[in-house]
Amino acid sequence: MTQIDDGMAHGIERLRGKTTVQEILEVATGFEASARDFYTDLIPKVSKQIRYLVEELAAEEQSHFDLFDSLAKRADIVEQVKIEIERTASDSKFSDCLHLPNLGEHPDDQAVLQYAMGREHAAMQHYGELAETAPAGPIRELFQYLASEETKHKLELEKIYYATIHRGGGV
Amino acid sequence: MSVRDLLSPFTAWKNLFRDPVTIIDPLNDRPGAPRYRGFHQNDMDKCIGCGTCETICQNGAIDMLPVGGIETKQGDSGLRPRIDYGRCCWCALCVDVCMTKSLTMSNAYTWVESDPDAFRFTPGVDKKHWDNAELGYHRPEEHQLMAKVRLPMGEMEPETRIESFAEIVNGYTIEQARLEADRCVSCGLCIATCPAHMSVPDYIAAVRDGDYERGVKLLYETNPFSGICGSVCTHKCETTCAARHDGDPIAIRWLKRHIMDQVTFEQCRDIVGGPGPATGKKVAIIGAGPAGLTAAFDLAKLGHSVTVYEALDKPGGMTRWGIPEYRLPYARIDQDIDVIRSVGVDIRCNVRIGKDITLDELHNTHDAVLLALGLQLGRATRIPGSEHENVRKAVDLLRQATAFEDFGTPRQAVVIGGGNVAMDIARTIARLQKKEYGQVQVTLTALEDLAHFLADPDEIKEAGEEGVVILDARGPQQVVIENGQVTGLKTWHVKAIFDEQGRFAPSYDETDEQMHTGSMVVEAIGQMTDASLLGDALTEKLAWSRGRLQVDAGGRTSEPWLWASGDMVRGPDVVSAVADGHRVAQSIHEVIAVTEQAK
Repeated sequence: MTQIDDGMAHGIERLRGKTTVQEILEVATGFEASARDFYTDLIPKVSKQIRYLVEELAAEEQSHFDLFDSLAKRADIVEQVKIEIERTASDSKFSDCLHLPNLGEHPDDQAVLQYAMGREHAAMQHYGELAETAPAGPIRELFQYLASEETKHKLELEKIYYATIHRGGGV
Repeated sequence: MSVRDLLSPFTAWKNLFRDPVTIIDPLNDRPGAPRYRGFHQNDMDKCIGCGTCETICQNGAIDMLPVGGIETKQGDSGLRPRIDYGRCCWCALCVDVCMTKSLTMSNAYTWVESDPDAFRFTPGVDKKHWDNAELGYHRPEEHQLMAKVRLPMGEMEPETRIESFAEIVNGYTIEQARLEADRCVSCGLCIATCPAHMSVPDYIAAVRDGDYERGVKLLYETNPFSGICGSVCTHKCETTCAARHDGDPIAIRWLKRHIMDQVTFEQCRDIVGGPGPATGKKVAIIGAGPAGLTAAFDLAKLGHSVTVYEALDKPGGMTRWGIPEYRLPYARIDQDIDVIRSVGVDIRCNVRIGKDITLDELHNTHDAVLLALGLQLGRATRIPGSEHENVRKAVDLLRQATAFEDFGTPRQAVVIGGGNVAMDIARTIARLQKKEYGQVQVTLTALEDLAHFLADPDEIKEAGEEGVVILDARGPQQVVIENGQVTGLKTWHVKAIFDEQGRFAPSYDETDEQMHTGSMVVEAIGQMTDASLLGDALTEKLAWSRGRLQVDAGGRTSEPWLWASGDMVRGPDVVSAVADGHRVAQSIHEVIAVTEQAK
């Protein structure tokens, strides 16, 4: 079963046609908040053996949320939030990630990691394309920064994934 | 007085016009001959502190001593030779025997000091004017005191061995073993590298002396899985062997096997001796693999009553159920385990904890409980199509093959993985295909390039010789299913497997896609432990550390009655599991002995 957060559905609606920086930031902030809440809800459902992983992901999303929150208050950003920019090709994929999956009653580490990597990948592409289309200046720099952050997170998760799934064990 | 007598003193003046025969500045103007054996030089970048120079010195002029700034590490003792020129006779045997050619002699021969103690010095560390001298004595190529090449291990030809599961290698004859043992310089660097710290130089000396009972005694001091390790040990010891610097490393694993080949079970049993005096303490061990049985062996020798519970119908853990018989004959596993039984260890097979007996029952009826579970579950790639019933896990197939169960040998198979397990299942399927269809059609794909395969190089070479097609740097993307049947595996080329920090992070070239045909795809990637026997309540109660049970240095968990060891805690490797078994047995013994004193 797929759950859609009501607040996020509103955000998706707003991401149609041309969009403003303010709207993008609002949706992105919601994206991080929904992920944080998703992982937080998941913590008691997973075995204690892999709980550290979900706890770390929840903390990571909280730090992303805090980042967006502080960015939205920056004077140079506030001045330009009304700027309209072209919607990117990755918009829909990014929006799809607002749909929270049902990983089952007791998901294992692989399922959690695969979901987390998918989210980070969509975010990385989204911000990367926004950085390419945004006008030069603080807004472009903002998206470049966000794309680089998401890329780092994605790579970090991939490393954990391969270390856990592909390279653990053997005789 | 004649005129001649008067003039003759003046004839000496003619010598004023001759070249002098004395040396005006003898300290600087008279260099030693180009190959003169003068003061020592030692290249600190090459020296590994093996101490062969100290051992060979007939005058006791060399002492191996620690040096500030040089750390002990794998393959380097951290010690360096100090030379006493009050004793040195300049014979250069130390240079001739040096395993890394780090020790040489300059052609410098003059050295003036007022302090006699200064003539005990550490070349390469105590800076001298001859340190960079190019002339002097360097070991000529033909002065090789030790044979460079290891005695080859006889083995079956590929076309013969692919016909059956018979053991591939023959083992050394006594003559071969002695020749190989003669290459060892007894430096002992291997001892530090071996996880179980086996006394390698001593048991190699026993081979040299032909004293196999002494050899077995030495082996069992540190490793009750010596027969098994003689066949399948990862032989990390050989990676730090001093001989590898100028030739092949000593075949340490094969010499261990040779010792075990020369003695019967009865001899082994008698050498090992029986259990220790009974202490009245009871220990339950879950899992009859190398870690669990090593701990059981140690604890029984200390006099504790030990019962090992094994879920499968034979003991041995992954050594039996994960390693094919052509690498490790079952008889060899049985012999090692029978010796362990002979010290009083009670092994109960077909008992599943959590089903036949609860962990609580074990806790209530024993003084300590040890979890020694292996990595018996295979990881899945979870790529599209991998949920098909003909996408199998290597560990499951190897278990079935050991139990002689028919898992439906595919005419064509694709294996995913580059470790020993991948090689094992590929070669197992190859043998079954040869028997059933008369030809081998196995393709093995791995993320890593060949240089970074986790499998032992011998395994890779032998798999190739047996007809397994090995494709490196291929990332699995999709299991292809047509009309409900698996028809193959799609892969992409892997551009790089490591990031700039050297961590595993493959990146793909999506334009280089290949299809590997096969009616079965076998996943041989990571493995994990089935810890479900702990139950939800105990799982919650225990402390975990990044997916693994949190244990102290002795293997004790956060629950004071419960210890954990082996693959589930440390990761896979027989000899590391043996080392872990010793550690945890010592910890259990110390705790239950204290409990006894407290009463």
